[in-house]
Amino acid sequence: MDTDVLIIGAGPAGIVAAIETASKGLNVTIIDESNLLGGQLRQQTQMLQSLPSPYQSMRGFELAQDLTNQLTQFPIRYLLEHRIIGIYANGSLGITDELNVFPIMAKKIIVATGATENAISFPKWTLPGIMTIGAAQTLVNRDFVIPGKSAVIVGSTDFAMDIIHQLIDVGINIKGIIEQQPTIQAREMKKVNELYDIGLPFYVNASIKEARGIGEVKEVDIQLQDRVFTEYVDLVLVDGGRSPILDLFYQLNCSFGFGDKLGGWVPSYNQSFQTSVNDVFIAGNATGISVHGALLITGKIAATSVCEELEVLSREEAEKQSAELWKELESREYTDVFQERIKHIESYKSPMLKNQFIS
Amino acid sequence: MHIENHPVLGKQLQKPVTVYFNNQPLLAYKQQTVAAALIANGIKKLGESRKLVQSRGLFCSRGRCCSCYMTIDGENHVRSCMTKVKDGMQIYQSLGDPEIRSDENGY
Amino acid sequence: MDKTKIICRCEEISYEEIEEVVGHGAKTFDDIKRLTRCGMGPCQAKTCTNLVAMVIHEQTGTPLSEIPLPRIRMPLSPIKLETLATNSTTFSTVKSVLDELELEEGRVK
Repeated sequence: MDTDVLIIGAGPAGIVAAIETASKGLNVTIIDESNLLGGQLRQQTQMLQSLPSPYQSMRGFELAQDLTNQLTQFPIRYLLEHRIIGIYANGSLGITDELNVFPIMAKKIIVATGATENAISFPKWTLPGIMTIGAAQTLVNRDFVIPGKSAVIVGSTDFAMDIIHQLIDVGINIKGIIEQQPTIQAREMKKVNELYDIGLPFYVNASIKEARGIGEVKEVDIQLQDRVFTEYVDLVLVDGGRSPILDLFYQLNCSFGFGDKLGGWVPSYNQSFQTSVNDVFIAGNATGISVHGALLITGKIAATSVCEELEVLSREEAEKQSAELWKELESREYTDVFQERIKHIESYKSPMLKNQFIS
Repeated sequence: MHIENHPVLGKQLQKPVTVYFNNQPLLAYKQQTVAAALIANGIKKLGESRKLVQSRGLFCSRGRCCSCYMTIDGENHVRSCMTKVKDGMQIYQSLGDPEIRSDENGY
Repeated sequence: MDKTKIICRCEEISYEEIEEVVGHGAKTFDDIKRLTRCGMGPCQAKTCTNLVAMVIHEQTGTPLSEIPLPRIRMPLSPIKLETLATNSTTFSTVKSVLDELELEEGRVK
């Protein structure tokens, strides 16, 4: 199987990249492990702010539907419920539909594999009922299942604040938010304050001393600076922040740099969102964890670069388009994240990790 | 518990199916994953760890952590968070490693 | 901190087991992996990479940006051997050894 452009991951960045490349007449294939387009947007019921034009402010699943509708205008090859198992010596990627494995050869690859939630470990964190906060959101908003009656949250990022609101709305009793750092990590204070106002306890400089339960979690000991107390909960939701998913980049022999504010190790890329491997481009949260608006813009920049390389867009036009998109990116994402992104790009030629992959 | 009427998304659970956990029938809905359907029925322990034999359940829900491995329709070590329910599905907890050296498998 | 807590969920490797091998000179995830099996279970280090880096950081003071990633090998996620072997006759790179076995009445000859 051959394609001009192979897009890996059908979340917001992947779909935007598919729209951009397909609209220029390129032969585009998009692959995702899920049976639906939209990636993690599918279970985001909160309003997304700071989306780039022409998007109005809308809920995550609405944006997923909007993007999916746009895609249907183009003759794209969909490989849903397919996954990549790795790369072969001739540069083709191995794809499986769970029955067979077959190779696909692409002129250009855009990897938009997104982010993964980081774990937080404490004694007995392996008990059932202890899961990532994103897992709880998936249960509530995608599978329509209430994962428990009462919960404590471990961590306090913006991602968690949105989800806590959604959990409360389906009747889950949130008994406290436990943050190891001296301050709450979320930046959108409006959402934090709303939780304060309804009397939700925030504990800083705090951690889980131990979870207990036979077969599933029943109680947790919460360690504060001056005391320990027990909460009886059947749900402990872990919010350890998010990091780019690196598996495939590693296989593709991409180099990596490190950016704390981008989520840790991040594949190296230049301002065209081209990785250290010529034909491999990157988009979305894989380029560093950012707001939803930024994900769309990175997808567009990566696609513009691919269009230029495949000569369906003149260099001049591509540069102009890219420059505008970069301006928009700067205006949409948090300043410190944008600055770290620029720093990451500056280190493109001197990556901290390279030639990692040995077949 | 199933969410019959979601505060934002409304009534989404339309097509009921029956799945069997340890041969007991459970109500699930089409499009739910196996892990989600079990949690809706109050079952959180999906298996046991291989070394220390401790209870395990859903953790990442993204098919990455493998904490939700179960035996589904005779196939062991299936990621129950990535597998959609089907009517009549037979589901068992993942308890230890299966015996692979059997006549059936050519040994 | 209770150092009996698990760091690698799959192989059930605790903080203190990792601390011990770091004390013996392990500097990277792959060093720890070879000494303890940490990261060698079904998730292939997808869950514990950052947790292990944090243990190394806490024990040695090495900045996180100087603790390399574990080696990530094919297949990227769990796959049935049957799937890996099926319909791959024109595709030698995934041709499984199973293809080359000769079976007789369901048994290896």
